[in-house]
Amino acid sequence: MVLSGICLISCGKKSMEGMIIITVADDKISSTDSITGKSWRYVPGSHLYAIDPGKPGNIPESLTENYFSACSPEISFDGKYMLFAAQKNQGDSWQIWEMNLASRKLSPVTSDTENSFDPAYLPGGRLVFSRTIANDSLKSGHTLFTCNTDGTNLQRITFNPHSYSGSSVLKDGRILTIGRQVFPKESSPEMMVLRPDGTKSELFYKSNDEVELLSRSWETSDGKIIFIESDKNNGIRKRLVSISYNRPLHSIVDLSSGIAGDFCSAFPVDPGRLLVTYRTTENENYSLFNFDPVSRELGDQIYKSPDKSILEAVVVREHERQKKLPSEVDAGVKTGLLFCQNIAITGSSSPDNIYSLSAGDKIEIIGVDSSLGVVNVEKDGSFYLKITADMPFKLKIIDAAGKTLFGPGSWIWLRPNERRGCTGCHEDHETVPANRVALAVKNQPVTVPVHRSRIKEKQVELE
Amino acid sequence: MRKILLITGTVFVLGLIISIPGKKLARDHVNIKTAVTDHPLLCTNCHLHIHKRSPFAGLDKVNYRSPLNLVVSNDGKLIYVAAQDGNALIVANVEEGKVIHEIEVGNKPHTVILDKSGKKAYISNQWSDNVYVIDLREYRITDTLLTGNGPAGMSLSSDEKFLYVVNSYSSDLTIIDLETGIETKRLTMGNNPTGAALSPDGSDLYVTSRRANIAHYGEPLVSELTVVNDKTKRIKAYMGMESAYLMENVAFTPSGDMAVVTLVRPKNMVPSIQVERGFMMTHGIGIVERKENGRIIQLLTDEPNAYYSDPFDIAITPDGKRAFVSNSGVDCITVIDVDSVRSLIAGSTPEMLKLWPDHLGISSSYVIRRIPTGANPKGLALSPDGRTLFVAERLEDRISVISTDKMETIKTIDLGGPRRITVTRHGRRLLNNAGHTFQNQYSCYTCHPDEHEDGLVYNMASKDMGRNITNTQSLRDISDTPPFKWNGKNQTVFKQDGIRFSTVLTRTEPFSYPELDAISSYIMTGIKYPPNLRFNPSGKLTEAQERGKNIFERTKDNLGNIIPENNRCIFCHPAPYYTNLKQVDVKTLSASDDSILFDTPHLNNIYASAPYLHDGRAISLEEIWTLYGKEDKHGLVGDMTKNQLNDLIEYLKSLRSPDYNDKSSEIHEASIYH
Repeated sequence: MVLSGICLISCGKKSMEGMIIITVADDKISSTDSITGKSWRYVPGSHLYAIDPGKPGNIPESLTENYFSACSPEISFDGKYMLFAAQKNQGDSWQIWEMNLASRKLSPVTSDTENSFDPAYLPGGRLVFSRTIANDSLKSGHTLFTCNTDGTNLQRITFNPHSYSGSSVLKDGRILTIGRQVFPKESSPEMMVLRPDGTKSELFYKSNDEVELLSRSWETSDGKIIFIESDKNNGIRKRLVSISYNRPLHSIVDLSSGIAGDFCSAFPVDPGRLLVTYRTTENENYSLFNFDPVSRELGDQIYKSPDKSILEAVVVREHERQKKLPSEVDAGVKTGLLFCQNIAITGSSSPDNIYSLSAGDKIEIIGVDSSLGVVNVEKDGSFYLKITADMPFKLKIIDAAGKTLFGPGSWIWLRPNERRGCTGCHEDHETVPANRVALAVKNQPVTVPVHRSRIKEKQVELE
Repeated sequence: MRKILLITGTVFVLGLIISIPGKKLARDHVNIKTAVTDHPLLCTNCHLHIHKRSPFAGLDKVNYRSPLNLVVSNDGKLIYVAAQDGNALIVANVEEGKVIHEIEVGNKPHTVILDKSGKKAYISNQWSDNVYVIDLREYRITDTLLTGNGPAGMSLSSDEKFLYVVNSYSSDLTIIDLETGIETKRLTMGNNPTGAALSPDGSDLYVTSRRANIAHYGEPLVSELTVVNDKTKRIKAYMGMESAYLMENVAFTPSGDMAVVTLVRPKNMVPSIQVERGFMMTHGIGIVERKENGRIIQLLTDEPNAYYSDPFDIAITPDGKRAFVSNSGVDCITVIDVDSVRSLIAGSTPEMLKLWPDHLGISSSYVIRRIPTGANPKGLALSPDGRTLFVAERLEDRISVISTDKMETIKTIDLGGPRRITVTRHGRRLLNNAGHTFQNQYSCYTCHPDEHEDGLVYNMASKDMGRNITNTQSLRDISDTPPFKWNGKNQTVFKQDGIRFSTVLTRTEPFSYPELDAISSYIMTGIKYPPNLRFNPSGKLTEAQERGKNIFERTKDNLGNIIPENNRCIFCHPAPYYTNLKQVDVKTLSASDDSILFDTPHLNNIYASAPYLHDGRAISLEEIWTLYGKEDKHGLVGDMTKNQLNDLIEYLKSLRSPDYNDKSSEIHEASIYH
């Protein structure tokens, strides 16, 4: 009897397998601002609808009619659940919710006074999302957090003065996210990758300063990453581009070259098919189309709202689960270790960019508010630091007189017990270390901040 | 019938025991045996697949073929395949796509080559120390040529009067006069040589080596490419391939202006703190410019976020336009545009050429395709017209046929092995595949080639980054010698390859328990020592070895004083594995080591495991005592004469797997009586 009842209740809604879930907004999208959150992901009055691509005439089913706003849908690996960001009532903060797509039952994931948005499923029943932090001492913008899908075991994973948004998860298990420095001054957004425990954060893709990253990125089944970016040198056209996972920094392809108009989002369906939201002119709303990334042609229009824009679309289906990466983070450890093999290796791979190392060269470690110390570099260009964990810092090379020779580089941080290596300083991201014993690792690491006495803590044996 | 009754009865009885009242006992039993606390309670995991002395051991065994290398007939209609586990030369018809003949050969055949007429084949039997000569018209073995230890790659001299055989275990080259069938010369090669090829003009034989020259940790890593003058049969050059090893094979461009080898560039001296950014292994090719002042250039075939591990063989099309490399760790063939390589080299300054070996992005200028294959692609062979590439898919038991124009597989040829993949076979596939390391950067095979060890010492970055450097240990026949690791902290393979393994080494999703079961099954039951045909072929020791045995087992020193029991060789190293499975302090800790006791290593085939000691500081067995055992804490040796130490070393080199002591054993018969 009970089972029958449950069955009747759960069968009251039809399966959503194969349906497309779209975010629909009243506003025309004029600009993007992932730092303040006043547009793009934070579109007041936006809503999620489900459309059946096999029945083009059907009225879309509203999924979030009890919310003031909802956006950023993300489908679970088994195709049975959906995460999204929503405002329950006008003026409320944005929070993450999960929907059982069979029963349409909703469960809150986050509950906070600050805004949470851009959720993405992680393997192992967890998710990553962006959240603002009030009075953040690290001067961050939106920070990345992970938690279980029931909201428990909340973990902050980014610790630098950057704002992160638009996260997705690569097949290799790492989080792909848009990061933009916000302190001491704003910089262009970059595509960053990091492990779900916040370790091994590094640059994945960056164009030039004239380019803005406008959408969440998705990995396709054939090893491409697709997203939307605008190029100020090209009439601020919002173009659909792809990069190769294998070589992201040098593989960009403008899939929409020759197509007038703007793209707002893209979602991979098959190797030969994308869902894109597109408009011909700025005066129009975005509509949903098929797109062939091989022929680079816009296909049929799937759905068009008479008076609203389709901001993004995802397909409800079971899909390959990303790898679940193990974590080296140990909350009982207060520091991380940073090893650099040779500071003389900087910039691109051109031999012209090999910095000539001089005796007496040092590195200065710079914190958010003050210098954290100066450390001698070994004769072979190597250094080895033990740094307070979860603390942002930059590095710059200085000579014996304290004159800056190179840098400072980007903000980085180490998680507790993280061990991280660099081939050089802000080096070409395609170079690997030379196989040699670095002088720096023959000694104990230098503790940073250097004014602190040696940090005594538990030792963790790796292997 | 016996199998069925045994299995059914045991499953029934164990089912009763393990049901409710016995579940806790079973849980405790499994926890103890696996050294982990969450292994599923499934009796067959251990008792059928892992315990080699279980009554059920071997019930799941099937005989696979495991094609390793192959060659194509002159008319392109037939392929001849060396089936490593099938101990056979398999002949297959390409057009029909099926096996037409099979000839039983020696133990672990490695390479097959043909003479120019195509009527005669030579197949090297790596575990039998000989080469079979086969008449292909009658499919008959016509002669057996004796070689050095571990014959692998081969080539005929330009006049076809001599056969060059690379002896992979004794690290030398046998030159056989084919008129008499007798070895006329033995030349020293690099460390663990395998691949051999004669230049197109017939002037030079190139021989690759897999292990780097033995050197102390921290010294530059150099592997040797040896050039032999075909006319004089003398060594013409020793060329060092810097920062590289595992040079499995070599091929020439048709004009002969370049020799190209496959290679791996390990990062054993870089702290193993991450996999990202090529911190563990990179893979590629080495190019030798064959001209005066010619350079040796290395290029990677990896990409910034994708690694193509364990390159094995290389074949270059007759028009010289394309080179194909089998990446046995990622199941694909990398296609290289040779002209693009030439352009890159021509347009690069000497400084740029120094950068390219450590540059992951440069491959996009010459790698034009990755062609997926079946499991563990090894040997390659091109048809005479260059339009078809044949790939020995070793752990798939088949040959894939690839169109070099379309650069895609057009058919496969099944070699007749069992279609069922046993748990052990699955484990072997896992061990040889890089899919369980982050971005496929390396497989178990990379550091354990042929399930042995790679002769390198690694900075495992334990605790601090410069501490506890570690000599790679062999995986051969270790089922009876737990615990594992130098410090003996891992009691089982389940623990060794569990969550910590993935956290600090592979840095990607851990093995699932079915995968761990498979890996354990292969490691615990499937990896044998090669026969010690070099130092102990028959079990009868030489006089020197006998004297060394007496020293090994002695209880009194040269002055007649009783040696304390725990300072006798035999105390810690008793037969048959020559380990008492205990941890001990032999005073070889260095300042950069944590204070640990060392798990007593097993000694069978110890001659093949240089360097020695936990950090590889002893580059020979002698050095263990002459340089690092002066305190007499690693056995009493201070009283020995030089001759006595030499005798002891000779005895140690004679130690071999107990499998070979049983003359009726399958493995013994296969090696000794062929």
